[in-house]
Amino acid sequence: MKKKSEKTGLVFFPAFDWAISPTHPEREERLLYTRDQLFEEGIMDLPQIVQYQPRLAELKDIARVHFCVPDIEAQAGEAHRIAAGGALVLADAFMTGKIKNGFALIRPPGHHAMRVVHGNRGFCNINNEPVMVEYLRQKYGLQRIAIVDTDVHHGDGTQDIYWHDPDVLFISFHQDGRTLYPGSGFADETGGPLAQGTTLNVPLPPGTTDEGILFVLDNLVLPVLEEFQPEIVVNSAGQDNHYTDPLANMSFSARGYARLNEKLAPDIAVLEGGYSVETALPYVNMGIIMAMAGIDYSNLYEPDYKEEYSKENPARLKQLAETVQRLNYVFSRRQELVAAARKKADSFFRKSRYISYDTDQIHEQQTETLINCPDCPGYLLIESEAVGARQGDAKIFCVSIPLRSCRRCRREALDLYAKTRRQPYEPYHYLYLQDRPADVYLQYDYITKKERAY
Amino acid sequence: MLIGIDVGGTFTDGVLYHEGSILNTVKKPTVARKLQESIIAVLEELLRGVKEKEISRVVLSTTLVTNLLAAGQEEKTALLLIPGPGLNLRRMNFFPSAYFLKGAIDFRGRITEPLDREEIVEIAGQIKAAGFRTAAVVGKFSCRNSSHERQAAEILQERIPDLRVVKGFQVSGQLNFLRRAVTAYYTAATMDKWKGFATDITSALRKRGLVCPIDILKADGGTMPLEASLSHPCETVFSGPAASVMGAFALTRDNRTSVVVDIGGTTSDLALILQGQPLHASKGAILGGRYSSIRSFAVRSIALGGDSAIRWTGKDIELGPDRLGPAACFGGPAATPTDAVNYLEGGILGSLSSSEEALGKVSRQAGMAVKELAESVVAMVTGRLAAEIKEMFKAWEQEPAYRIWEIINKQKVKADRIVGIGAAAGAFVPALAGRLNCESFVHAYSPVANALGAAVARPTVSLLLHVDTENGTYHLDREGLAGEVSYHFRLEDAKKLALQQLQRIAGLRGIGQYADRYEFFREEQFNIIRGWTTCGKLFDIGIQIAPGVIDEFKGVQA
Repeated sequence: MKKKSEKTGLVFFPAFDWAISPTHPEREERLLYTRDQLFEEGIMDLPQIVQYQPRLAELKDIARVHFCVPDIEAQAGEAHRIAAGGALVLADAFMTGKIKNGFALIRPPGHHAMRVVHGNRGFCNINNEPVMVEYLRQKYGLQRIAIVDTDVHHGDGTQDIYWHDPDVLFISFHQDGRTLYPGSGFADETGGPLAQGTTLNVPLPPGTTDEGILFVLDNLVLPVLEEFQPEIVVNSAGQDNHYTDPLANMSFSARGYARLNEKLAPDIAVLEGGYSVETALPYVNMGIIMAMAGIDYSNLYEPDYKEEYSKENPARLKQLAETVQRLNYVFSRRQELVAAARKKADSFFRKSRYISYDTDQIHEQQTETLINCPDCPGYLLIESEAVGARQGDAKIFCVSIPLRSCRRCRREALDLYAKTRRQPYEPYHYLYLQDRPADVYLQYDYITKKERAY
Repeated sequence: MLIGIDVGGTFTDGVLYHEGSILNTVKKPTVARKLQESIIAVLEELLRGVKEKEISRVVLSTTLVTNLLAAGQEEKTALLLIPGPGLNLRRMNFFPSAYFLKGAIDFRGRITEPLDREEIVEIAGQIKAAGFRTAAVVGKFSCRNSSHERQAAEILQERIPDLRVVKGFQVSGQLNFLRRAVTAYYTAATMDKWKGFATDITSALRKRGLVCPIDILKADGGTMPLEASLSHPCETVFSGPAASVMGAFALTRDNRTSVVVDIGGTTSDLALILQGQPLHASKGAILGGRYSSIRSFAVRSIALGGDSAIRWTGKDIELGPDRLGPAACFGGPAATPTDAVNYLEGGILGSLSSSEEALGKVSRQAGMAVKELAESVVAMVTGRLAAEIKEMFKAWEQEPAYRIWEIINKQKVKADRIVGIGAAAGAFVPALAGRLNCESFVHAYSPVANALGAAVARPTVSLLLHVDTENGTYHLDREGLAGEVSYHFRLEDAKKLALQQLQRIAGLRGIGQYADRYEFFREEQFNIIRGWTTCGKLFDIGIQIAPGVIDEFKGVQA
């Protein structure tokens, strides 16, 4: 059983030797001033804080989540594996009762990385939170998990990964997709047909302040979490809602972040974006650490902060209230919605879409097929073709069996993988199997005729 | 000839070293209230039959400051903090009697909030009324811009001309406001008494006819001239364990990984030498129960020594944590771990019959044979030490790293050998080494290795340089030396500047001959980018003369 600990775990991994390119926002300098502020403050010396060293995530930890093209090594460099490993270290410390909560201050970030990874999108290759979530499920048997994404950009990668998973509640609030990358995360994106209502998106109008974001937290996020009763709450803690962020247009303050974190009380927070490296990050990160550790943050403020920055304009509040009401309604009717979808559909659901990789300029065309099963969330088949990838164009086919699949679905999915593998011609470059119930992950290369197990 | 004297809590040890041989060793009980006398008594014996002018160096390692702090005898000192935004120290009871000033400086050294002169004048009045004679002024990020500390100190001294004021930037250039505050406070609080000690000891030595340099051993294993220590008294804390580690270093002198085990009467100190480099504590020495910015070796002390009392609790054998006196084999009152070894080894240490008799008392209570008890005790001692050593390695491996290569390259380091230091080391270290599957190293001079370590330790100096080319400034720690640089300043220029400053300081301290032994322990370069263009660079350069032994040291013949 878990013992009670009063400590807040901290992994601080600024990756001072990793950047996308020298002047890119995701560069070495990003956490430099944060380091200066944390170190000068001496917060790591306080008895409430215990610092952990990150480790290198295993390839298998990544295979649980992603289908990497051409292989995991090509997409997950050492920096990515250490960032993900930082989250895993905190997951272990939390589950074994060594900490009461933890904050992984790591880079590179991950929440734009989807299931299929042909390259870098939105500064992300490997999605750190799902890697941690799937590790928690396999190693500690957790089932119900909530991820609250507070980055200013929609967490479209995490949404994609848990779109069909009714056991993971994904809530993202972010600047309205009509005005910011990645251009998604609208209120009507509420999860796949068999996981309706466990994906919730709140687009925030540009300029939303502390008061507005805390309104969403109080009136949607907290009540929904209360109802969902997750075993663990994960926060994708982006810091680009700050009023000085150069890539977005929001008006959140360091103290607002501390307040948000105090109310949300996540078990594990993982850093995502935030590119106001000098005027926001040092203060926001301090605020989050202080709030998690229960340290008084009333003396924390940005040098140019003024109280009136926190006030919200009534028109915006009204708009937020409407969105919140609508999403509460969807969430409360989620079981009926799933039942109706199941009844209405044939034996499967299919959707095709185009995915753009802004950083690596890759164009991906994807067709997703979900088996409509009356007894389980169904298994998923993905066909994906990418143009413009560094490693050359590739076409792949993936079979993903969810943890809670029924025996019949799993059997069918395994047979399908075996059958596809045996095909005499070469329909794809690579074939993937994600067998989560058995914790087995395979990749087959049609050219070399070799199968690799992670 | 070199003299090293280590004033420990129980004993003061001294050695006289000359060209590969230890000519004389002395061990005398320490008289806590009269450290000067203990030092002079040891010195007298070492000098017997030696010409004073042949002595080329005296190094002292002393517990004076440690004792002052332990006994709460530091001087009443006013602490003035300029914390700016961040932790709410007023409510944290960090230093109950601290005064808080307005004003703030950020991580780039920019003033984001001005000082309030009126406020400082008012506080000066309170300080004067309360009768403080010393004060410490410490501001957040004063290592990036010391102007607030200087101005506040100036205002205080205008109002109270005889007030001694220590400024934060003078004690540490590292980023850590809390540790800098602790260090500045205790520096101010011990400066006067340390100066008294230094003056006394200098005049006593000069009167005795010694004309050589007098050096002080620091917690980081290096020495500094006694003169230089006047402004940095806290650097002398924990020089005892540092002396032992430097002793082990001097006796081994290679690139292997050693665990230094110093087994005293009631406690044992453990330290690591990783691939020939003594390991420093990541958080700094603890002063008055708080972390400071004093660099010290990572030493783990456990309450178990060669003289710990052995008892039967009715259920188990218990060791210590108290000491009733010396081991029974040396005429002590009760059985100790030393007796257990003495008994098992047939009386190699002292009286066999005394050990057997004392152990017999406990073994009868426990209903076991004497041999069985003695074996259990040795197993318990080595077991505890082995467990602590494993923990130390684990703690080291888990120390945070901030770069990819640090994590990839931090291979698991294993102990090659156990180096025993102290009188009781010979009794336990071989068994301990056997248990940990590594070599045992116990030198004939292990009992006085601490004094030897002091005698041959070389001076250390460490400097941090911070350069900000966007602001066009550089800042050097310690002396608060600041200046201007051009926008085109490069990493190589920063390194050159750091080296020049190191050479200058080494020259001032009379240790210029070691200035070429420098190493850069930090070399950081960051681009400052606003929008998508580079508008400057930040450099952080750390340069040091690392701990080591002096050139005159040629090893020791056993």
